[in-house]
Amino acid sequence: MVEYVSKSMDALAKNHAHIDTALATLSYSEHSIGVLALLVVKLSGAHIQDFETLYVQVQEFVSSCSEEQIKFAPETFAELCHKFTLQLVDRKQAQRGITILCQAIRKVQTHLALLTSIHPCLCQLCLLAKNFKPALSFLDVDITEISRESGHYDAKDFLLYFYYGGMIYTALKNYNRALYFFEMAVTTPSMAVSHITLESYKKFILVALIVQGKIPTLPKYAPQVVPRYIKPLCQAYHDLATAYGSNNPADVRSVITKHNDTFVRDNNMGLVKQCETALYKKNIQRLTKTFLTLSLADMANRVQLTGSREAEKYVLHMIEDGEIYATINQKDGMVRFHDNPEKYNSAAMLLELDKEMQKCIRMDEKIKEMDREIAVNPQYVQKVSGIHDEDMPASTSKGQGF
Amino acid sequence: MPLPLQQGLFQGQAAVEPMQVDGAPEENDNIEEEPQYTVENPSLDLEQHASQYTGLARLHRLMFIADHCPSLRVEGLRMALNYVMTTYNTNLYGIIHRKLQEAVSSSSSLPDAVAGSVHNVPPLDVPWMETTAKKAAFKLEKLDTDLKNYKSNSIKESIRRGHDDLGDHYLDCGDLTNALKCYSRARDYCTNPKHVVNMCLNVIKVSVYLQNWSHVLSYVNKAEATPDSESTTKEANLTVQSRLKCAAGLADLATRKYKSAAKHFLQANFDHCDFPELLSPSNVATYGALCALASFDRQELQHNVIGSSSFKQFLELEPQLRDILHNFYESKYAKCLKLLGDIKDNLLLDLYLAPHVSPLYTQIRNRALCQVSSQCLVTCTVVPVMKDLPGPPTCPPLYTQIRNRALCQYFSPYLSADMRKMASAFNTSVGALEDELMQLILEGQINARIDSHNKILYAKDIDQRSSTFEKSLTVGRDYQRRTKALILRAAVLKNQIHVKSPPREGGQGGEMSIAPGSASAARN
Repeated sequence: MVEYVSKSMDALAKNHAHIDTALATLSYSEHSIGVLALLVVKLSGAHIQDFETLYVQVQEFVSSCSEEQIKFAPETFAELCHKFTLQLVDRKQAQRGITILCQAIRKVQTHLALLTSIHPCLCQLCLLAKNFKPALSFLDVDITEISRESGHYDAKDFLLYFYYGGMIYTALKNYNRALYFFEMAVTTPSMAVSHITLESYKKFILVALIVQGKIPTLPKYAPQVVPRYIKPLCQAYHDLATAYGSNNPADVRSVITKHNDTFVRDNNMGLVKQCETALYKKNIQRLTKTFLTLSLADMANRVQLTGSREAEKYVLHMIEDGEIYATINQKDGMVRFHDNPEKYNSAAMLLELDKEMQKCIRMDEKIKEMDREIAVNPQYVQKVSGIHDEDMPASTSKGQGF
Repeated sequence: MPLPLQQGLFQGQAAVEPMQVDGAPEENDNIEEEPQYTVENPSLDLEQHASQYTGLARLHRLMFIADHCPSLRVEGLRMALNYVMTTYNTNLYGIIHRKLQEAVSSSSSLPDAVAGSVHNVPPLDVPWMETTAKKAAFKLEKLDTDLKNYKSNSIKESIRRGHDDLGDHYLDCGDLTNALKCYSRARDYCTNPKHVVNMCLNVIKVSVYLQNWSHVLSYVNKAEATPDSESTTKEANLTVQSRLKCAAGLADLATRKYKSAAKHFLQANFDHCDFPELLSPSNVATYGALCALASFDRQELQHNVIGSSSFKQFLELEPQLRDILHNFYESKYAKCLKLLGDIKDNLLLDLYLAPHVSPLYTQIRNRALCQVSSQCLVTCTVVPVMKDLPGPPTCPPLYTQIRNRALCQYFSPYLSADMRKMASAFNTSVGALEDELMQLILEGQINARIDSHNKILYAKDIDQRSSTFEKSLTVGRDYQRRTKALILRAAVLKNQIHVKSPPREGGQGGEMSIAPGSASAARN
């Protein structure tokens, strides 16, 4: 059925006008694949007159289509979602598509940790609509598998997913996870430079500066393209990183003004400004390591803030965010730094330790399972036992996956 | 021409070594006017100093002193001129003569009595230069033909000696690269360990002149590794050992490894310390003592330096250094640092030590601070008063090193210390002291926290238990992150996700640039 449908795509495209009537006759849940094909053709039409009905049709389809049938044509389904997203983006109606796509993903996913190409579409819509929560439920799950979609799954989708995901997390100020996502995007195996990787790398640097204060070294499996081609293109960001390393806000500010145009052009100015504030925070944290009490005026001097009022504001925010432990004595204008009061001897702490250990154990089990899978894979066994008649790039890459 | 090459090398390398004497004015290392150097430099007897060295060592040192000390310049250059006429080094002669001319003409503001003697500069002795050059070329030819003869006769021993002689001759002419080449070629013809050691010593000597420190170290190691089965006498053995140790120490000093430099110098044997073409025993004393002061802790200092009988003899040559060491050890930081200041001028005229005066002094000062802070048991009431200790902004970096050491030593026995007393002891303001201490704490040399309100320095006690918990949690989270990344990567590889180049996938490149643009536009 699927092959028949895919072959007749062209024929359908020519018969635009009749599609609506055809749709009316087919039932969504029973003839999902046929409906799917028709919808795809409608969406790919150059000029869509009546988007509203189309929208309603897609909505109904997604909610009522049958999962088993969809499974046979994952790439067409994905194409449907892609085109649908494009249309929504064009009409600036991103918000409306979010629930539909959520449903769509749920229908296609066999298990929660499966990455499809619909994921990046969802993320894109969420970003445009500035409504992040729906995406979070998908982003928070760690991906362990990627859906094949009959070979149509593209590197671009993968990169986009992680790029958008990183941006969403950055917007939500979950910098650690954002860093992880950007790192994933940057370390994708690649022979050529992709714009997405380039943008991810730039944001990677900025978020790393906010979180860690320096650019972390990329893992060994990062592709060669990155240092060779991408790094030279991001000179402004590297300058910022070096200025950051000197702990001197004046330096950082001068670098920012120097490369102002680059940053604005890349739409990264917001992040850059956050880097600046992060530098002040980092300097204040250094002070906690060396001082027990410090006057606000002194602190303002050392960290190069404009005055004790601003210093007080920073310290207040940091105490609230839990980044430092201190008390402000307004009478003397003094700040007293404390050590981390966590003594690691409470029941809550024990619970947390236990949870972390469980997570690690589960990870370990998962790895063992994957190992076992490969060990019983006939191709692998053949390869290992030294029979050379087949050239199996897939199995070698599986072996190297660890 | 090999000769200009050597000259270029020497000057080029001297320019590379940063001479961090004081703040701004020494971007240009080879300039002749160094405003920091005062004209009067009483404690350096140039004659006596120069007589401790022979050959290129003497010439290099004299030229260095002449470059950096206006008052001794003329005298130094004159001595160098006289000495260079005994060698075949016509090129160096030309340079020294030119410098002497310049020095004389620029110092015409001197009073009449001095000016009279000053203008007595012998003219450039061109005939001497020509004859010497001819003699050198003649000798070179002779040695070359000799070498060819030996090679045709295939007598290893004579070939080796021939190479050695050729190397010596090149050295005398000042052609260091060729000298190095000849000495290295002799390596293939060494038949017994003594020859190998000899060859190594020659190479080391030339490498020191070339300031090629990695070479020096590798050949020192090589020489030490050759088995001394045929050691002629104990004496010769000890001499060789001392030479190797001193060369190694020098190399370490030049590459700023002060601790190992100190260790090497301490192993030199006084009675057999006789190599005027490299270092003098007083040099060994100075370098060893300063490096030890900047890098050893109290126990090591006591054990290896003060209590060492062999090094005592070296220290006898430099009584000032001996005093400095003893004062440091007895926590009399004021006297110690004052004496250091006194000898600083002399040290700055030393060829190998000058660039390291600043970092060494800083380290010594830091150590003093650390020891002070670790000594506080209660708020210290009795504090050694250290006057005349220049504070950080004015004193040069080597000095700051010594000062920091003093700070560390000061604080080491105390739980808490009153910063006001400490500041008066180190002769700085409380604010400056705070900055210094902050730097030391951040570097991890003092384990303490500053109470800026009451101006007290508290020794900090690390809670091992909490830090262990924290660390284990961090490691756990790190592990999880990495494992997730790897699992994801396994999935990526399984599906062969690969960023391919645009020409193969037509529309892909275009779409890729649209997507990030629109999304990031919305984000901000």
